[in-house]
Amino acid sequence: MASGSPDDSGRQAALPWTPGDVSESATEALQALDTYKKKDPSKVVVRFKAVGNAPIMRQNFYKITASNRFQAVIQFLRKELGWKAGDPLFTYINLAFSPAPDDTVSNLYKSFATEGHLIVNYSTTAAWG
Amino acid sequence: MSAYGTTRHHGQPSANSTPASTTLFRRLSWEGTVPLEIRVDSKELPANSDRGLECYYIQAPRVSYLPLLMPEIRRFLMDVVFDEAAGKMLKEEEWWFESEEGTLLKWHWPIGLIYDNHTISASIRPPSQTSTSHHNLQVTPLKLILHLASPPTEKLLLSPSAESCKQAFMGQLKEADFVRWGNTKRMTGLRKQDQDGIWEGIKEHNFDDYWRVASKIVPTTAPARSGSPPPSTNPSGHTRPPSVDPQSAPDRDNAYNVRSVPVRLYLPDGPVMQDVVPPTLEDGSPHTLVHYLSTHLPLLFPPTPYSGPELAYAMMHGVLVPPDAEMAWLGACMAGADGWVSVCVGIAR
Repeated sequence: MASGSPDDSGRQAALPWTPGDVSESATEALQALDTYKKKDPSKVVVRFKAVGNAPIMRQNFYKITASNRFQAVIQFLRKELGWKAGDPLFTYINLAFSPAPDDTVSNLYKSFATEGHLIVNYSTTAAWG
Repeated sequence: MSAYGTTRHHGQPSANSTPASTTLFRRLSWEGTVPLEIRVDSKELPANSDRGLECYYIQAPRVSYLPLLMPEIRRFLMDVVFDEAAGKMLKEEEWWFESEEGTLLKWHWPIGLIYDNHTISASIRPPSQTSTSHHNLQVTPLKLILHLASPPTEKLLLSPSAESCKQAFMGQLKEADFVRWGNTKRMTGLRKQDQDGIWEGIKEHNFDDYWRVASKIVPTTAPARSGSPPPSTNPSGHTRPPSVDPQSAPDRDNAYNVRSVPVRLYLPDGPVMQDVVPPTLEDGSPHTLVHYLSTHLPLLFPPTPYSGPELAYAMMHGVLVPPDAEMAWLGACMAGADGWVSVCVGIAR
């Protein structure tokens, strides 16, 4: 079914790169890549929900830039809670899993949002080990 | 016939619930390796070390992780590069890797993904004056520079400890479980012994140990698709016609019944894209790779009708994937060990 193995020469065409020698289609493809690299400036709604003894914030809904990494959301939450870098803070999506810190809010929103917002649970203890 | 399909939650023993082709592709994905060349940053070698021996080559499993290679690298450094005094100062928690181009390598990316992503990125970058003028897709060692101190923690985000690596891995399995079913019951339902066992399978790179547990959480491919009738007979002795019973127990874990296939799309030098990937389209046809790619990257994979030259290609585990591959099948047979179908997009010449 697969068209080759790791040792298959497959599409082993060399890509000689001298100025002016780039094919038209490769140029078109490179331009497409640049388009896809552009950061999405839109914002999505994140809803923070406290778990267990974690304090509930006065405001739970925030608009967060979609291209942000999840790590930025964690840092934002820490700031809103007034917690220091060393204080234990565990975050989950939909009470189910902890995303990798470099996952983007955009990807998490597209994959897991419900009713127009992405639910981020936060806790002082590791609830789902 | 493989025994990997026999440990299902519903306890239905069936020697042929995992088709041979499924096991074949799972084994191929598992056994893929990539060559790595690891060199300590020369500025960090102690004055009395033997610089001629500073490169270490590893043929690393694609499904493994950089932190899991560190014990072996440490042994090499202790044996060959550092004397006892310098060796005692080695602190693996401060180690970090970067590529020749200065890209920081991530602890939680499978090695195969790091390799393919790097190869593709290098293939589209114009060469510097010192490198060769040809970039091709032959298998050459990925050159890594190992730094022994001052890790850029705010960019790495995770520590390189084996425990951290395990947590990240389990997190990816859980996320994949949630993507497929909208809950993580299959993961949380694993006994502690199994949770530890699946990670041991990665650490020891043992296919059987890994799949002993993975078969409980990874979707199956439907036996009916191979054309053979189900093995049961009714009391009168007639065989049941091979009708597809949507409520039959094996279908509960069937790859085509997931809500969404866990897929990530990697463009050279980023971004990484993730979205809902239903196994079948609205018209009932299977969701194919070409449909997925033309939906998400129409500028690189123009939708039909398109008769121009190929602009890009899709690679998984180092091989080109045919456009008619079904996303659900890929999710069951060619996912990474972390449960994710990682599609690396490269530019065609």
